[in-house]
Amino acid sequence: MTEPVTDPLTPVLTKRWTEPDAWSIETYRRLGGYTALPKALRASPEQLVALVKDSGLRGRGGAGFPAGVKWSFMPKDEDKPHYLVVNADEGEPGTCKDIPLMMADPHSLIEGCVIAAYAMRSHRCFIYVRGEALHCYRRLHNAVREAHAAGFLGENVLGTGFDIEITVHAGAGAYICGEETALLDSLEGRRGQPRLKPPFPAAAGLYAQPTTVNNVETIASVPFIVNAGSAWFKRMGREKSPGPKIFSLSGHVEKPGQYEAPMGTTLRQLLDLAGGMKDGIPLKFWTPGGSSTPMFTAEHLDVPLDFEGAVEAGSILGTTALQIFNETVSVPWAVMKWTQFYEHESCGKCTPCREGTFWLAKVLERMVDGHGTEEDIDTMLDVCDNIFGRSFCALGDGAVSPIQSGIKYFRDEFLALCEQNKAERELAGARA
Amino acid sequence: MGVLDPLKGFGITFATMFRKVATEQYPEDYRPTEQRYHGRHQLNRHPDGLEKCVGCELCAWACPADAIFVEGGDNTEEQRYSPGERYGADYQINYLRCIGCGLCIEACPTRSLTMTNFYELANDDRQNLIYTKEQLMAPLLPGMEQPPHPMRLGEDEQDYYVNGPELARKAQEEAP
Amino acid sequence: MTTVEETTQTPVPEGHVRLTIDGREVIAPKGELIIRTAEREGIEIPRFCDHPLLDPAAACRQCLVEVEMNGRAMPKPQPACAITISDGMVVHTQHGSEVARKAQEGVMELLLINHPLDCPICDKGGECPLQNQALRHGRAESRFRDQKRTFTKPIEVSKQVLLDRERCVLCQRCTRFSAEIAGDPFIELLERGAHQQIGTAKTADAEGWGAVTPQGQPYQSYFSGNAIQICPVGALTSAAYRFRSRPFDLVSAPSVCEHCSSGCAERTDFRRGKVMRKLAGEDPEVNEEWICDKGRFAFRYVTADDRITRPLVRENGKLREASWTEALRIAADRLAEARDNGGVGVLPGGRLTVEDAYAYAKFARISLHTNDIDFRARPHSAEELDFLTTNVLGTTPEDGVTFTGLERANTVLCVALEPEEEAPAVFLRLRKAARKAGTKVVHIGQFSTPAVDKTFGTLLACIPGEETNAVLGLREHAADVYAQLGEGGVILLGERAAEVPGLLSTVAGLARETGAQLAWIPRRAGERGALEAGALPTLLPGGRRVDDTEARAEVAAAWGLEALPELAGKDASAILTAAANGKLHGLVLGGVDPDDLPNPELAREALARAEFVVSLELRRTAVTEYADVVLPVAAAVEKSGTYLNWEGRPRPFDIAIENTGILSDCRVLDTLAVEMDTDLFTQTPQAALADLDRLGTVEPPVAQPGWTIEFEGEGPPKSPLRHGKARLATWHRLLDNGSLQDNEPHLAQTARETVVKLSTATAQGIGVGAGDPVVVSTHQGRIELPAEIADLPDGVVWLPANSGPSTVRASLGVGHGDLVDVRAGGGE
Repeated sequence: MTEPVTDPLTPVLTKRWTEPDAWSIETYRRLGGYTALPKALRASPEQLVALVKDSGLRGRGGAGFPAGVKWSFMPKDEDKPHYLVVNADEGEPGTCKDIPLMMADPHSLIEGCVIAAYAMRSHRCFIYVRGEALHCYRRLHNAVREAHAAGFLGENVLGTGFDIEITVHAGAGAYICGEETALLDSLEGRRGQPRLKPPFPAAAGLYAQPTTVNNVETIASVPFIVNAGSAWFKRMGREKSPGPKIFSLSGHVEKPGQYEAPMGTTLRQLLDLAGGMKDGIPLKFWTPGGSSTPMFTAEHLDVPLDFEGAVEAGSILGTTALQIFNETVSVPWAVMKWTQFYEHESCGKCTPCREGTFWLAKVLERMVDGHGTEEDIDTMLDVCDNIFGRSFCALGDGAVSPIQSGIKYFRDEFLALCEQNKAERELAGARA
Repeated sequence: MGVLDPLKGFGITFATMFRKVATEQYPEDYRPTEQRYHGRHQLNRHPDGLEKCVGCELCAWACPADAIFVEGGDNTEEQRYSPGERYGADYQINYLRCIGCGLCIEACPTRSLTMTNFYELANDDRQNLIYTKEQLMAPLLPGMEQPPHPMRLGEDEQDYYVNGPELARKAQEEAP
Repeated sequence: MTTVEETTQTPVPEGHVRLTIDGREVIAPKGELIIRTAEREGIEIPRFCDHPLLDPAAACRQCLVEVEMNGRAMPKPQPACAITISDGMVVHTQHGSEVARKAQEGVMELLLINHPLDCPICDKGGECPLQNQALRHGRAESRFRDQKRTFTKPIEVSKQVLLDRERCVLCQRCTRFSAEIAGDPFIELLERGAHQQIGTAKTADAEGWGAVTPQGQPYQSYFSGNAIQICPVGALTSAAYRFRSRPFDLVSAPSVCEHCSSGCAERTDFRRGKVMRKLAGEDPEVNEEWICDKGRFAFRYVTADDRITRPLVRENGKLREASWTEALRIAADRLAEARDNGGVGVLPGGRLTVEDAYAYAKFARISLHTNDIDFRARPHSAEELDFLTTNVLGTTPEDGVTFTGLERANTVLCVALEPEEEAPAVFLRLRKAARKAGTKVVHIGQFSTPAVDKTFGTLLACIPGEETNAVLGLREHAADVYAQLGEGGVILLGERAAEVPGLLSTVAGLARETGAQLAWIPRRAGERGALEAGALPTLLPGGRRVDDTEARAEVAAAWGLEALPELAGKDASAILTAAANGKLHGLVLGGVDPDDLPNPELAREALARAEFVVSLELRRTAVTEYADVVLPVAAAVEKSGTYLNWEGRPRPFDIAIENTGILSDCRVLDTLAVEMDTDLFTQTPQAALADLDRLGTVEPPVAQPGWTIEFEGEGPPKSPLRHGKARLATWHRLLDNGSLQDNEPHLAQTARETVVKLSTATAQGIGVGAGDPVVVSTHQGRIELPAEIADLPDGVVWLPANSGPSTVRASLGVGHGDLVDVRAGGGE
C-alpha cells in the first residue's frame, strides 16, 4: 500500500466521469458513492480533521493551504452557527476542473460537503457557483434534491442525528468573487469586494460567523481519503504535495482536456498523455496554473508540477490550468489579452490594482498596435513592481505575473514591437 | 582755479545744446515700449469670443502686492462665458497696488491673463484705478461673439485647450 | 528579551504595548492603529481612505509601511491604517524604509494617472490632500502617456452635493460615512475596476448601467455636507460654495453653531466680511467632527436683503430710519411711560447667547421693574416652568447627561423628541451608541421615523397627546425598558413635551423612580442659556427663585438695588393675553415670530394693542410691522458670546466678522437702560458674563413631590377616526421654513418631502391612497398635502410643523395632540 504510484494517470476524482449518466445518484452509488459518509459520521469531528491533516491534502484553489489545518481553525464549540462555503466560482483563465467535476460527478462534492461540514460542526453549507455555469448550477440543484430524497442531506442524516442543508447559489460572474472574502460578501448579497483581514473567515466569515471556504476539488477529495485512508492518498504525488490533481490542458495540444495525475507530474509527461503539441508545432510558452501564474517556457518542460516544484522554478502552481502556446503566438499579444482580462475584472477597491491594470492595459494595447517605446517596457515593469504586493488582495499580484514573466523570457518580442515604432519615428523625422 | 575754467564750463553747456536730446515729447510724441514691457493687463478670449479666464484665482494667489481680486462663477448651458464649468464672474485689478511684476501672467493656467504694453495708468480718482473685468477684457475681434453664448468650437472644453492654437490659426485665416 | 533589559526599560502600563517606529521606541495603547500611533509621535504617514472616526478600509494603499512582527519582517508592505499595533512590533515608514517610500510613491503615481488636471477650477484646490501629497511625495512628471478615463462632469448626488467622478480616488470615505455615521446609505460604489464610481441608484439608472437597479432615491441626508468635508479630493463639492473662493482668500474663525441646542463646534470661513462657508469643527465631547447640513449651510440669512442695519422709528404709522440717539431716546421715554402706566412685558426669544439673555433678564428687572419675562417663544406651560426649575436648572456635564454619556448608557428613552430633526448631533451620538456600544434606543412617538430605524431603535407608538399614558404604561407594557432604565438608562425629553399635559412631571417621576438620568433637549440654541440667565417669570439669574426672599435680596445687592420686584411674573402666554387686554402697555421683543407662539392670533392682537413695542431684530419680520422702534442687533457671526448647550456646557465663541458696526443685544439693552437712567453693566458680552459670574449660581431647588404617579393608569385610549376627526401629531423638521435658513435655495431643496402622514386604515377611512391629496383643517384654516402611508396609530395624522405650505400653528391654530378635521382633498 505504501509504495509510490508510478502510473502517469491516477483517475480518482475523474474516475466516474465517463460513465453513462455519471451525474445521477444511482450511478454514483453503484460506483461506490456515499460509502464514505456513514464511516465519517461514525467518527468524531476531531478524528476527521486529524485524518485530513494527516493525508496532507492541500487546498486545490491555488494557494495550497493544508485543508486539515484550515479546518482546525474553526472553533470547537457551537456557540455560533458554523458555515462551510464551497468556492465553485471557477474563473481563472484556463481553469476548467471544477465545472466538469460538478457536471459529471456532483454527488462526490455533496458527499464531501456533508463530511466536511460534520468535521467542522457546521449545519449549513453553501456552494457558490459561477453565474455563467448555468447548466452546472442546475445539475447541482438536482443532485442536492436527489441526496435529500435519499437521506444524505437534511435532518438526521442516516439516523446519526446530524443535520445538514446545502444551498447552491449562483454568483453574478465576477472574477473577484473567487477571492474567499469577496465571495462571502457576494453571498451575503453585497457588492463582491474583498474584506479586510483580520478577522479571518474562521473567526468572522459569512454573516460574521465562523466560516471555512474550500475549493470544489478539495472537498470532493475528502470522501476518497475517508474511504481509502491518508496513507493511500500520500502514495500519490510528492511528500509535501501529496495526492492526485486534475491538470487542465488547453491550447495548442492534440488532445486538450482534464488529466488527473499525481502531484509533481511534469508537462513533458502530460504532453505525452495529451498526444503532444498540436500539428507538431513546437512549444513556446505555457502557464502552470492559469494566467495569474508566471509563465514558463520550453525550458521548464521537466519542472515537477507541485506546489514546491513550481515555486522553485519561479512560478506558482495555482489551479494547474496549463495553457499551452506554440510558436505562432506573440507573447506581447497574449500578455495584452490577459491584462485586458484583469483590467476588466479588477474590482476597483484598491488603487494599485484598479489604476495599475488600467494603465498596463493601455500601454500594452498601444505597444501591440506598434506605438510602444523601449521606455514603456521599463515603465511597465516598474508599474508591475508598484502593484505586486501592494494591492488589497492577490488579484493585483496575479495581474502582473504575465507581464513580468513575459518580459523576463521574451523581452526581445516586446522590443521588436518598439523597434518598429522607432523606425517609423525616425522615418517621420527624416521626412520632416 | 584757472582763468579759463569758467569758459570750459560754459563750453560744455554750449556743446550740449547741439546734442540730440533724450527728452520725449510725451504725450504729443507717444513712443512704443519694448515688446515685453509689462503694461496693463488683458483678459483674452478664445477664437469664438468665450473668455479664457476660468476664475481660478491663481493670479490673485501669485500676486505679491495683493492687487487682484477674483471670484469664480458657474457656467450654465443658458449662461456660458467660458468653455468648461467655471468662469471668472468678478475680476478686478487694483493699479494702485500693481507693481507690474508679471507673476500673475506666469501663474495663469489658461493664458487668459497677459500684459499689454499700455502704460498710461494715471488718474486723479483712486477709484478709477481699480480696473474691472469689463475694462480688462480683450476687445472682440472679427469672428468673436459677445458671451454668454454656447461653445462654438467643439463639444467640450478639451476641444478648446487641446486644439487651441490650431483653432486660433483657423479663426484668423477665416476672419475677413 | 531578557529580564535584565526589562528592568532598564520604562515599564509598559497596563493595556499598552511597546513598539518601535522608525527606530523610536513608543509605548501606546493596545489595539491602536499604526497610523495613529505614528501620528501622535509626529510621524505623518500619507493617507486618503483613513479617517479616525470611520472603520478602516485599507482601500487607497497610500499608507503602506514595512512591518516586522515577532522579529520577522512581513513579506509585503502593510497598510498602516488597518494594522493594529502589538508588542515588539517594528515599523518602518517612508522615512526609514526604501520599500515603503517606493510603495507610497507608486500608489501616488497610480492615483494621479486618471485624475484630471482640474486643480485651477476645482474647489478643493489649495486645500486638497491629494494636491498637497502629490507635491510632497509625487513624481515631478507623469509617465502616463495614454488617454485618461473620462466621465460626465459633475453629476448631482443631491441638490446640494455635486459629484465629479473623474476626480474621485474611490477612497470610500463618503460611502462609509453615509453608511456608518449618518445611516443614510444612498450613495454606493457602482461598477468595477477603472470604471468604479460613486453613485446613487438614480445615477445608475440614468447612465443606463444599473439596468436592474430599482427606482432610485436621491441622496437625502441631513449630514451630506460632512461627506463633502471629508472628501480628500474635490470629487464632492457643494452647490452653495461652488467656485466661491480659495483657501487663501478666507479668514477662518472657530465658532459655535447657532441653530440647535447641541452647540456644535464649527469653523467659519469668511471673505471680505461675508461668510463663505462653515465647516465642522472638532470637539470629541460634543459633535466629534460632524455637523448637520443646517449648521453647515444655513448662514446666508445674515446677508439677506431685508437685514436691518439702522434703527427704525415709527412716525405717522410708517417706519423710518433714525439715528441711534433718536431711536434710543424715543424707546427709553416711551418704555418708561408704558412701565409706569401698566407695565411692560419682555419676550427675548430662544436664540440668545447667555450674555444677551442675561441682559434681557436684568433689563426687565432693573429698567422695567417687572418679572414679566419669558424666553419661551413656543408652546409652553406652567408645568414646564416647574420642570425646568426642578430638573434642568443647574445641571452640568459633570453631573448630568452628556453626549459621551449617551454612548455609555445601556438604554436611551426619547420622549416627545425627534432627535434627527431637533438635535442632529444627539441623533449621531445615539446612532453611534447603538452601533458601537449596543445601546438600546427606545422612542415614544407616533411612527417609525428614519431616526427610529437608524438608531436600531424600538418605537412605542402612542396617540399624540397621550404620551403621558404611554410613559405611565411602561412598567406594565414594556417591563424590559422599564427595568433597563434603572440600570444606567437615560431619558431625553424634547420641547414638545410641554404640549402634553402631565408628561414632564410623569417623566421626572419615572426618572426618579427608576434612577435613570434625565435631560431636556430644547430645539433652539439659546433656551438653556436663557433658563440659567433668569429670563423667566419665576427665576432670577443663577438659578435663584423669585419667590425666595433671600435670593432676591442677594441679587438686588449684587445689582446695587434696594429691592427687586417681588411678584412672580407672567409667562409668555399671559404676557400676550395681558397686552391684548390692554393691561400691559409695552412689549420688548427679541427674535420672536408670532407664528411660533402657541396662539399666533393672540400674539398679533397683543402686538397691535400694545401702546409701545420695541423690537430688537436682525431682519424685517412679522413683529416689525407692529413695532414702534426697531433696533438692529448682531447675528451670531458678528458678535461674541456663549451658548449653553442642552448638556449645560458653555460653548463660548469669539466674534468672526469684525467691524460691522452692528451691536449685540446686550450692548443695545445696556445703552437703552442708560437712557432710562439705569445701569446693566452689559456693555460687552465679556462684561455681561463677568457680571453674571460674579453673581454666581445657587444650588438648584430640590424637586417637590407635588404629584403622584399612577402606574395603574389605563393604556392609551383608542380614538379611531370618527366623524372625520383625527388627532394631530406635529413637530418641526430640521430643514423647513425657519427664517435662519432663508437665502439657501440648495439647502432648501434637500429638505424632506412635505406630506401628511397617516395610517392605511385612516387613509382608507377618508378614501385616499398614497400620494392623493388630503385636507387637514380646523375652524381657522386648512392645509392640503399629498398623503404618505406610515405606521401611525389609526385616527392620527402627522404634519410637519413649519414646512412649505404646512404651517400648522399659523394656518390651523393648533398643535401637537389637538383634534383636526381630515378629508380627501382635490376637486375643489
